[in-house]
Amino acid sequence: MESAATPAEHRAGQKSWIDYIQKDLPAHLDWWPYTLGAIPLTLFGLLVATGLMLTFYYVPSPEKAYESVEQITHEVYLGWFVRGLHKFSVDLMILFLLFHVIRVFVTRAYRPPGEWKWVSGSLVLFLAFAMGFTGYSLVYDNVSYWGMTVVTSMLGSLPVVGTPLLYLLRGGEEVSGGTLLRLYDLHTKLLPVLLAGLVIGHVLVVRLSGFAEVPGSRGFHPFYPEHALTMGAIAVGLLVLLVDLVMIFPPTLGPPANPQEVATDVSPPWYFSAPYMWITLLPGPVALWSLLAGAGIFAAYPFVDRVLSERGWPMALVNGVVGTAVVLAVAALMILDTRM
Amino acid sequence: MAIIHDDLGRRRFLSQAVMAFGLLFGMGTLALRFAQFLVPSPKAKRYEAVLIGAESRVPLGEGVSMDLGGHKIVVLRTDEGVAAFSRRCTDLGCLVSWNRDRQQFLCPCHQGVFDKTGRNIAGPPPRPLDRFEVVKRGDQLYVNIQSG
Ligand code: FES
Repeated sequence: MESAATPAEHRAGQKSWIDYIQKDLPAHLDWWPYTLGAIPLTLFGLLVATGLMLTFYYVPSPEKAYESVEQITHEVYLGWFVRGLHKFSVDLMILFLLFHVIRVFVTRAYRPPGEWKWVSGSLVLFLAFAMGFTGYSLVYDNVSYWGMTVVTSMLGSLPVVGTPLLYLLRGGEEVSGGTLLRLYDLHTKLLPVLLAGLVIGHVLVVRLSGFAEVPGSRGFHPFYPEHALTMGAIAVGLLVLLVDLVMIFPPTLGPPANPQEVATDVSPPWYFSAPYMWITLLPGPVALWSLLAGAGIFAAYPFVDRVLSERGWPMALVNGVVGTAVVLAVAALMILDTRM
Repeated sequence: MAIIHDDLGRRRFLSQAVMAFGLLFGMGTLALRFAQFLVPSPKAKRYEAVLIGAESRVPLGEGVSMDLGGHKIVVLRTDEGVAAFSRRCTDLGCLVSWNRDRQQFLCPCHQGVFDKTGRNIAGPPPRPLDRFEVVKRGDQLYVNIQSG
């Protein structure tokens, strides 16, 4: 280790990566709505760890997939616990990502120079959903199987790119063992690498472009030890919460995949239940295009905001109204899903 | 006046443009081949008539589900005769089942409903169920299906 920098070299004015991390943080980051980004980050770490452990037992073949999940849940020492942690970490990660998005949206923290914070963050959110979908497909119970069918068909109905995309995801015309293997590869290899890259990119962009100014927040505090300690406390608190959740609601398993008969209740996990109800209520193409348009506007929102505020729209008010309307609509769709 | 006889500049521009075009073309072809590797090609289709048995096997008003060479179909006998429908919902590909009491096909995924002629009457499905031709030879019924 001859090339390790000595403290003297640091002081010599050369900015090292430590200086970027050690940049002082505005004091408002101690207020909890502004720490919401660190929570999904912590959970992501936990997901990688538990996910790696699960791959030691999981077998991505149609004959063995369900059986191996059952083995993890019922036979492997603490298998149910690791699987439960993995499941609840996803749920909480997506939940806190959504809180984080809502907070940034309402406070308009994406305003220049923060546009790329928002864009990279929205990609992180989309990838998290893709991880959720591929993950629940791997369980290969009946809901997974028909979920794979429905989601791949939906992508397959896109013009031009649809059919090749359908073949790409399914590895053939029908949902088969090839599909499971492809989703497994996406879930355990391609998507995690992409997601990790994007998360790092997002954090870097946030650190480089600085935090949004918040009225009333004047002081600064150093990253280490103050902020690092707060994050540590959050991580420990999360772990306690997760352990409790897993103990109270140990993971379960539906009936195995049956290509001959659709499950009676095909409701996906809660974070997909709103879009699921949306495609139930609207005819296919309309549902798909409205979802895509929504995702597009969402990712490009800082630029939409800029154009509209140049025309004199009161964006703070608009965001409040839009945010409330979307949250209420999503809640209504979710309630509808539990009723049907 | 601008310089017209800048041969050197023009030559450099042209050669670079040709190089860039060639490179892009090569890379593009390569990328396309990799995409072809990942997207399996569809199999050629053939048609054949599959025997499903005597007409009496299908009671009136009842839908009988079967799997013919990978096609999940339901054979239905109504007053108008025997018809064979694909069970694949035209919305997003779940399997519909025949509901005897309602005399309709129901899709559990997004509550799609088809009537006994296969017409989509409620829910998201955009078009009627696919039909297979049913041929009767003597007392025996055959269904024309595509086979892979
Ligand atoms: S798949 Fe049948 S209604 Fe959507």
